[in-house]
Amino acid sequence: MLATVLQALVSGLAIGGVYALIALSFSITFTTTRTLNFAQGEFIGVGAFLGVTVLYALSSGEGGSFAALAPAASAGFRYPVAALAVGAALGTLGLLLFLAAVRPFAGKPGMSWVMSTIGFGIILQSLGLAVWGPAPVNMPSPFGDDVIRLGGAGVRPQELAVLAMAVLLMVGFDLVMRRTRLGKAMRAVAHDPAVASLMGINVTAIMLGAFALSSALAGVGGVLVAPIASASLFMGVGIALKAFSGAILGGLDNPRGCIFGGFALGLMESGVALWQAQWREIAVFLLIILVLAIRPNGLFGRRALDKV
Amino acid sequence: MIQYQPTRRELGRGALAAMLAAPALTGRALAQGQPIKLGFNGDLAASPSAQSGRAAVVGIEAAIEDVNKEGGVLSRPLSLVVRDDLSQPPKSIQNMSDLIDNERVVAVLGPTNSGNALAWRHIPNQKRIPVMGCIGSATDITKPMREGADNYMFRVGSVDRTQVVTIMGYAKKSPRTGKIGFLTETTGYGQGGLKDLQEVAQAQGMTAVANEKFNVNDTDMTSQLAKLRAAGVETALVWAQGTTIGQVMRSMEKINYFPVVLTSWAADNLSFINAAGPQLAEKPVFLRTVSEDRTPHQQAFFGRIRPKIDADSAFSFAVHGYDGTMLLARAIGQAGRTDGPAVKDALEDLRGTLQGYAKTYDKPFSKAEHEALGAADQRWTCWRDGKLAAYSDDVVRGLRPEDFKG
Repeated sequence: MLATVLQALVSGLAIGGVYALIALSFSITFTTTRTLNFAQGEFIGVGAFLGVTVLYALSSGEGGSFAALAPAASAGFRYPVAALAVGAALGTLGLLLFLAAVRPFAGKPGMSWVMSTIGFGIILQSLGLAVWGPAPVNMPSPFGDDVIRLGGAGVRPQELAVLAMAVLLMVGFDLVMRRTRLGKAMRAVAHDPAVASLMGINVTAIMLGAFALSSALAGVGGVLVAPIASASLFMGVGIALKAFSGAILGGLDNPRGCIFGGFALGLMESGVALWQAQWREIAVFLLIILVLAIRPNGLFGRRALDKV
Repeated sequence: MIQYQPTRRELGRGALAAMLAAPALTGRALAQGQPIKLGFNGDLAASPSAQSGRAAVVGIEAAIEDVNKEGGVLSRPLSLVVRDDLSQPPKSIQNMSDLIDNERVVAVLGPTNSGNALAWRHIPNQKRIPVMGCIGSATDITKPMREGADNYMFRVGSVDRTQVVTIMGYAKKSPRTGKIGFLTETTGYGQGGLKDLQEVAQAQGMTAVANEKFNVNDTDMTSQLAKLRAAGVETALVWAQGTTIGQVMRSMEKINYFPVVLTSWAADNLSFINAAGPQLAEKPVFLRTVSEDRTPHQQAFFGRIRPKIDADSAFSFAVHGYDGTMLLARAIGQAGRTDGPAVKDALEDLRGTLQGYAKTYDKPFSKAEHEALGAADQRWTCWRDGKLAAYSDDVVRGLRPEDFKG
C-alpha cells in the first residue's frame, strides 16, 4: 500500500513538473502583455519534432531511422544541443508570433488575439504535419530507459530529469525576476506598461522577450516530454490544457502560483486515478471550478480590477 | 520464384496478335459501354491510421488490375474512384453522397476510420449501394439499421467483437489465466471494446475482478495497474491504440507487475513497438487476419505490393482490400447486372469458392452474416526481435470453434 501511494506521488510529481513548466510559460506572457499564447500546445509538439530532427541530423549514420532513433542518437552532448537549438528556434518563433498575431491586437478591445494565436497554432501544426507526417516518433532518453526503483516505486530516468530540469528552470526564472534589473523591468511592465515606459523601460522589448522566453519554454518542454510520451504533433494540446488549468488554479499573474498549480494538478491526477481513474478529469475540473468560485483569481492570484 | 521472361519472338507475336485484335476490342468496348465504377472513401493522409487506408487502396487497385486482365466483369472493366475523407466524419458523409449520386459507383470500399462508417452507414442503406469494409473494425458497422432491415454493409476485415470472442476463448481455456481484469482507453474505440469484453465475458461465464480506464495520451498507468495487482489479476485484457498499449507495458515495468497480456490488434502498429521498446513489446499477444507465417500464395502477393505500402504491418489491409474487391467482382458477375440490390443479394448468396489472400471464401456472407472473416480466421501474433511473428502455444493449438462464444 505504501509503495502504491509512493508510486502515485512520484508519477504525479513527474507529470506535474511538465504542467508546472508550461503553466509558468503561460504566466510569463500574461503578466507582461495580458495576453496568452493559445498555440502553446502546438509549440510543444513542434518543439518535440524539431528536437527529433536535430538529434537525427547530429547522429547521422549511427542513430537509426527518423521514426525510431537508436539510443545512441541522444548520447553525450547531442540531447542538450537539441534542447538548446529547439529553445532558440521556438524562441524566434515566439517573436514572430508576437509580431504577427499578438501585437496588432494587444490592448485593443475584443479578443482578436485569442483567435490569431489559435490560428497561428493551427498553421504551425498543419505545416508540421506536411513536413513530419501524423505518426508519432520515438525520441530516446539520454539517461537510458531502465526503471529506477525508489522504495518500491518505479520511475524512469527521463521522468526524474524532467522534474529536475523543470525545477531548475523555474528556480532560475524566479531568481531572475526577483534579483535582477531585467526581472524588475519585467515586473514593472506587468504592473503598468504606461508607467514603465515613462520610467525609461523599453516595453516592446520586454514584451518580445516574454514571448520568446515563453515559447522557448514550450519547445524545451516538448524535448523533455518526448522521450516519455513519444513525439507527436498532437501531444502538446492535452498538456497545454492541463498546464493552463494549473495556471488558472494557482493564479495566472503569479508565477510561483502557476508552478504550484501545475504540480498540484499532476498530483491530483495520479491521486484520483488510485481511486477511480475514469473520474479523474471530472474530479480535477470540479475542484478547479470550486476553487475559482471561491477565489476567482486562483489560489495565489491578486485581485484584478477591470476598469470599465 | 521463377519469373516469366518473354523472349523477343514471343513479344513480336504478342504485338502482332494485339494489332489484329485491336479493332475487335475497341468495337466491343464501345458496344459494352463504360467501365464499372467502384469507389473508395477513407482517410489517406490525415490520421495515424492513414497508412492502413493507403494500403487498402493498393490492394483494391491490384484486384482491379487482376480482374481487368481476365476481361473484366460482365465484359466491362472495373475502375476505381478514390475520395480522401481526411478522417473527418462530415467530409466522409459528403464523399459518400458524391460517390453514389455524382460518380454513380456500383459499390464503395472503406472507410479507414470506424467512426466515419458509423456516421454514414444510413446513406448506402437508403440508396441501396453495397459497401465493403476493409479497415475500420468497430463491431456495429455491419449491423443492420433496424432488426430485419436490408443491410448493405459488408466487411472483409478485422472485427472488434470477433477479436474479443477469440481472446476470451483463449483466456477461458488457458490454465495460466487465473483472475482476469480489463484495461481500456476512454476513447470510442476503447469503450466499444470494453462493451464487447463485458458482454463476451458474461457469455463465456467469466468475471473480471478489475475494470480500469485510462486516457489515450496518458504516459503513466501505474495507479490503474496497482489496482489490478491488488485485485489479484493474472490476465489483463487491454483495449486501446498502439502508443497507449505501449505506455501500459512501460507502466507495468515501473511497478514490476507482469500479468499475461492479451490486447486489441492495435498492438501490431509500429507506434506500439516504438512506445514500448523491443523488449516490452514481446509480452502482449494479439490477433491479426493475416499470419506472419505467410503461405507461398500470400508471399507472392506480398512481394508484388510491398514496394507500394508504407509498412509490413499494413499488408493485412491490402489483403482485405484485394479480397473485398474480388468478392464484389464475383457478386456483380453472378448478379449479371450492377444495381445495388442485385449485387447485395448476390453477395449474400455467393456460389462457388474464391481463393483470396486472407483465406478461401466459401459462402462468405448470408442475409444474417455480413462478416467474411470470423473467429476461426484470426491469426495469433506477437512481436519478436522487433518484427511481427506468428504466436502459438498449446492453448492456441487446442482452440476449437465451440470455444468462440459470444
